[in-house]
Amino acid sequence: MDRRGFLFAGGGLAAAAAGLTACSSGSGSGSGGGSDRPLQFLQSGDANQGGGYAAMAAKYQQQTGVKVEVVEVPNDDLDTKLRNAAQANDLPALARAGSIDPTWKDATVDLAPISDAYQIDKTLSAVDEDGKVLSLPSDLTAVGLFLNKSLFAKAKVDYPATADQTWTWDECVAAIKKVQQRTSTRYGMVMDRSSHRLKAMLFEFGSDYFNAGANGTFTTNNRTGAALDYFKSLNDDRFMPRSVWLSDADGNALFKSGDVVAYYSGCWQIADFAENIKDFDWVSTTVPKQPVRTTNYGNAASMVVFDGDQSDAALKFLDWMYKPENYTTLAETSGFLPVVPNLDVRYRSNQDAFALYNAEIAASAPIVAEQNKLSFGYQIKGLAPDGDPVRDETVKFLNDEQGLDKTISNICTQFTQSLS
Amino acid sequence: MTAIETGAAAVPAADVATATVRDATSSARTPRPRRRRPEASRLSRVIPTSALLWLLVVVYAFPVLWFVLSSFKPGSELFSLPLHLLPQEWSFAGYQKAWSRFDFWRYFLNTGLVAVITTALAILVSAATGYALAKFRARWLSAFFLCILATTMLPTEVILPSTFVVIRDLGLYNQLAGVIVPSVITATGIFMFRQYFRTVPDELLDAARIDGAGEFSIFFRIMLPVAKPIVFTLAIFSFQWRWNDYIWPLIVLNDQKNYTLQVALRSIVGADNIDWSVLLSASVISLIPMVVLFLIFQRFIMNADINSGLKD
Repeated sequence: MDRRGFLFAGGGLAAAAAGLTACSSGSGSGSGGGSDRPLQFLQSGDANQGGGYAAMAAKYQQQTGVKVEVVEVPNDDLDTKLRNAAQANDLPALARAGSIDPTWKDATVDLAPISDAYQIDKTLSAVDEDGKVLSLPSDLTAVGLFLNKSLFAKAKVDYPATADQTWTWDECVAAIKKVQQRTSTRYGMVMDRSSHRLKAMLFEFGSDYFNAGANGTFTTNNRTGAALDYFKSLNDDRFMPRSVWLSDADGNALFKSGDVVAYYSGCWQIADFAENIKDFDWVSTTVPKQPVRTTNYGNAASMVVFDGDQSDAALKFLDWMYKPENYTTLAETSGFLPVVPNLDVRYRSNQDAFALYNAEIAASAPIVAEQNKLSFGYQIKGLAPDGDPVRDETVKFLNDEQGLDKTISNICTQFTQSLS
Repeated sequence: MTAIETGAAAVPAADVATATVRDATSSARTPRPRRRRPEASRLSRVIPTSALLWLLVVVYAFPVLWFVLSSFKPGSELFSLPLHLLPQEWSFAGYQKAWSRFDFWRYFLNTGLVAVITTALAILVSAATGYALAKFRARWLSAFFLCILATTMLPTEVILPSTFVVIRDLGLYNQLAGVIVPSVITATGIFMFRQYFRTVPDELLDAARIDGAGEFSIFFRIMLPVAKPIVFTLAIFSFQWRWNDYIWPLIVLNDQKNYTLQVALRSIVGADNIDWSVLLSASVISLIPMVVLFLIFQRFIMNADINSGLKD
């Protein structure tokens, strides 16, 4: 009786577990092979960026009858997700990945035909030694400078109004300080706590960034130190709030508060500012040069197609999406800076700001493309630094924990250890 | 509770009577000051405590209030200076956007299903295991108990890859069952029940056995009802854990239709930008079921906590 009782209990639990398996609605897409399955497209941020991909998927289904399912994954975990999907042999048909990962890079399909057909910049694609194009850039991002236009007008100070006018860092800082003083604004400028933004500043100072020599040791030129020194002098809690770099205060929120004259960030802010700044006028202007005129641009994310029974269908969809007329619609809906050349993109708002970014990218120094290419090379080899040496060591430098030489040598050592 | 009651009853009745008489006589002589003094001392004791408690209420409630009120502010008002507690212009745009962007009903259903089923199974399994470990004598049982305890030594993240492989090979990848099954066995729950059942006298079980009860009915009709405080405590914890669970559902669920609430919510945080008004509104919406559940089960939740505290 007793034993039977326990058997009953055990049986009940087993039945419950079996019921659970049956009641969950998922059907693993990795195992089945039917061609009528929708193409799964893993990405992050589509809904936030106006739903361009979802709109394109709907249009594609209308035209061809093929369903593309746009799956939203939290941005910070997209890479983890793809890695695990690769392990579970359940990779989606295509994805908009943050970076190329060694766990799935061999499971990708060659995208050279699309890249060639639409003249997409190869330096923004991951290309392996055999010339296989592993990824295509989804869209471009670029670093840029935003100004509180109302404060500049109130202080009667000028700034470069068109893409062909430029200013140096010294002129830019002097102008902002003047505005700050005349309008009694709390801070002059904020820069995102990001090595991507700092990298743009380094390029503008003539730095060649950090590069491996013949023996694999990383070095940099003397302009890097000049730029870092300059950046530190700006972080004095009067011109730049130290809290942004030292304790991760939100630069975007600070600028939106209207208490900061300028914001060194990037093109992805345009949509947010257009919607969420109502108290003052803002404007995009050219990034300062000292003496190099350049922004830091790159691909926002990498489009990849995975091997499998759906890869042909996924390739067809991608090819369709990069067609000039379709890609134009995507760029207009999502506010993307285009990777397909010679498009006439009519943005819903702030056309000037987007035009300025495109002009800045076109006028960029060659080092940006070189560094992008190097970065893809490391990704393909599966090499990545632990954390972000440039950002983390700069934070220590700003916090007076270490001197300039130590900062640069630490960055070089960490890159040498992880990338060589 | 029992101890306090017994203590009070143990005071001799004569003493109480004497005290009453003494009080009565003294209050007859100088009624006012004598009466006021205990009142004043009571007040002087109560006021600082109440003030402190109210201060704590404010400290805890203020951020929540700010958060809820901010969800009614338009995006342009969230960061503009000076900051206001109340929205200058009430806006429901965030709610509209959040509701249209997310299939909340589906996510509520998925998360609710996971939380309820996991909690029910976790209680049943933990109680049964705890009962066996507390009341059966066998050497291998002690070793087994140690093994279960050992699992608490490793953080979830450490055993994540191996658990993932097991779930994948069982064919539970991308299924809600894949989220539920690994969470059913909690060492904490088993430990709580084992410790509790050890305090239940064996005589009770022997008496039941003499009356002809089998192990099955002893467990369901005696042990489980006796362990009600633990059942409620574990239920609250387990439900909350599963409701807020993020990393495991993220890894196991691949299909958007199976997403739980937390995984869906996190996708609002973009690479470089956060849509604050949508995030705030969606977070408030996601809290509603928990608040409703709390209001319904408030009585049990409070009771469970108090009783489980005393039993130790």
